[in-house]
Amino acid sequence: MTEKPAIVLRHGGSPDPAVLREVCAGAEEEGVPTRVEQVRAAGADGAVALAHAAALESPLETGIGIDESGGVAVHHASLPAEAPVQRVEAGSPRPDLRIAGRTAARIVKVLPL
Amino acid sequence: MTDRLVVGVDIGNSTTEACVAAVPGDSPEYLSTALTHTTGVKGTPDNTDGAVAAVRRALEKAGRSPADLDVVLLNEATPVISGLAMETISETIITESTMIGHNPATPGGEGLGVGTTVAIDALAGASGPTIAVVGAGWDFDDVATELNAATDRGLEIVAAVLAHDDAVLVVNRLRAPIPVVDEVGAVEKVPLGMRAAVEVAPPGRTIRTLSDSYGLASVFELDPDQTKQVSPVARALTGNRSAVVVRTPSGDVTDRRIPVGTLTLSGAGKTLQVDVDAGAEAIMEVLGRVQPLDDATGEAGTHVGGMLAQVRDTMTDVTGQPAAEIRIRDVLAVDTFVPKEVRGGLAGEVAPENAVALAAMVRTSRSRMQVVADEVAAALGCRAEIGGVEGEMAVRGALTTPGTAVPIAVLDLGGGSTDAALLDRDGVSSAVHVAGAGELVTKLIGSELALDDREQAEAVKRYPLAKVESFFHVRHEDGTVQFFAEPLPSHVFARVVTMTPEGPAPVATRHSVDHVRRVRREAKRKVFAVNAVRALKQVAPGGSLRMLDFVVLLGGSALDFEIPDLIADALAGYGVVCGIGNVHGSEGPRNAVASGLVDAHVAGS
Repeated sequence: MTEKPAIVLRHGGSPDPAVLREVCAGAEEEGVPTRVEQVRAAGADGAVALAHAAALESPLETGIGIDESGGVAVHHASLPAEAPVQRVEAGSPRPDLRIAGRTAARIVKVLPL
Repeated sequence: MTDRLVVGVDIGNSTTEACVAAVPGDSPEYLSTALTHTTGVKGTPDNTDGAVAAVRRALEKAGRSPADLDVVLLNEATPVISGLAMETISETIITESTMIGHNPATPGGEGLGVGTTVAIDALAGASGPTIAVVGAGWDFDDVATELNAATDRGLEIVAAVLAHDDAVLVVNRLRAPIPVVDEVGAVEKVPLGMRAAVEVAPPGRTIRTLSDSYGLASVFELDPDQTKQVSPVARALTGNRSAVVVRTPSGDVTDRRIPVGTLTLSGAGKTLQVDVDAGAEAIMEVLGRVQPLDDATGEAGTHVGGMLAQVRDTMTDVTGQPAAEIRIRDVLAVDTFVPKEVRGGLAGEVAPENAVALAAMVRTSRSRMQVVADEVAAALGCRAEIGGVEGEMAVRGALTTPGTAVPIAVLDLGGGSTDAALLDRDGVSSAVHVAGAGELVTKLIGSELALDDREQAEAVKRYPLAKVESFFHVRHEDGTVQFFAEPLPSHVFARVVTMTPEGPAPVATRHSVDHVRRVRREAKRKVFAVNAVRALKQVAPGGSLRMLDFVVLLGGSALDFEIPDLIADALAGYGVVCGIGNVHGSEGPRNAVASGLVDAHVAGS
């Protein structure tokens, strides 16, 4: 793969900009780049499925999914699809969203989550 | 009834062991053993339940009924109760918020910025080199916009101090990067309008200027007297990746010795005093001059007075003896350090403070084991008698370890005390109990690593360490790597863990595996290796360890994965054979007393 190493963040089309900003800021503060991708809307358990697909796509094997409602999931490519590393419910306060991005970055850096 | 059954029961501080033997002729045939938790304090009637449970369980394993019992033998225990206390003897205090020396995980930028502290919403009126101070509630985009605007107006912004974990985000949005220290919880206490310096080192480095006395002198143009004053600041900042120092008119960082009082030790017709803040070595040296110790007291109204009063109170609660009658018969002092939050710190800074841990041991006046024997007899419907003294029985049991012979010394490594007993060629035995054992090790590990949870400290003591390196593998402390087919839970990811039988359990620490391992081994060495020598010297002929041939380790801590090695190392220079007991060639270091009781009974009848 020639693409640059990055955490892949996938969303279904129209994520809340505030949610997207906080999640990305969490990874940026840790110094790990993210690449945001838009895909067609996923099924019922959107965020987890998006995150797993993103992790499989990521050169760093780490993905984040944000679903239509604003729920966030963090995933690693080596884990079973239904078992994300972290889930943040839709409507969670900003610091929790920031932590989701931070968790993804810390997986890459192998630091305690 | 074809043969008679004899059961030996050893009631210890934490476990009760039973050992069932059939005695067809003049040599016992061992059928089974069992182990339960001791109920109540050793040597009190509460022990009955545990003793009966252990006997029943051992009988069940042997497939025999209590009706076959001839006699139950109990040990005459010397009730030894120990207490622990710990007192810090140094304290770091920051006055007037002169310094921030914490290590945020992700500071921003790098380099040194020297200027005047100004709140971010007051930048409009500022001039000259400026350090922006940003309170809670500021968003990183707004901070960057504000700082960029001020720079555009011509203000020279040299550094920033933030409340939130935003340093990298802010620096990424600045046109000219500056050093930024973040996660300063009490940023509102940073004095404004003062000359200050902010330093951030590159990743993998530590700060060079603010952690150096002359560096501080250069930054703040100090004269020699002032330089002397700030040298504690430099020392306190050594090893940090980032720091802030504010120069206030009388601000200071002091490293103060707390007067903890004197310890009065009496024994051998002498009464000597020692300052506790002189440290463990001085205390143990004075203790050596008053052996055997009759009592120890602390100066009233001081820390050490409170410490020993607390030990005495605990003893009173468990034994029912009045505090005035309780004599402290041994003390073990250990130097340690305790990470404590710095008083006056702005970012939850932690400094390692010196501390002394004391284990004190009390021997109660008399045992109530006869009461236990009567109650056991009633519960099981058989005879129960006191079969022998614990130390002598332990030696007897230890002697069944293959490869041993008299003179033999045993070291019983327990939870509350370390006991030594000796059997010489003439069949004479002697025994001592010294303060400090497994519980003190747990306490030292817990306090040095600042673990809130006693269970975690216990796990660090009992199990080897590892680092979780991915969702599927750990690296053990010896460097070997283990793969797991099932993913490891995310709460242990990248953490230092203890390899418990239930799987990896996280240790709440930012320290490395190496550091935690060092703390663990040092704690074990400071307690068990020191106590092994101390206790053996008291039973060895002429106090000389060279007169001992065989030393057998018994008790729960003899099963530890490294304590026997640490003790063997400590004894290596004395030319003794030291190893883990293997009672009857099969029982390991357990059951020495219980089977010793049976052997003694059979030999005597």
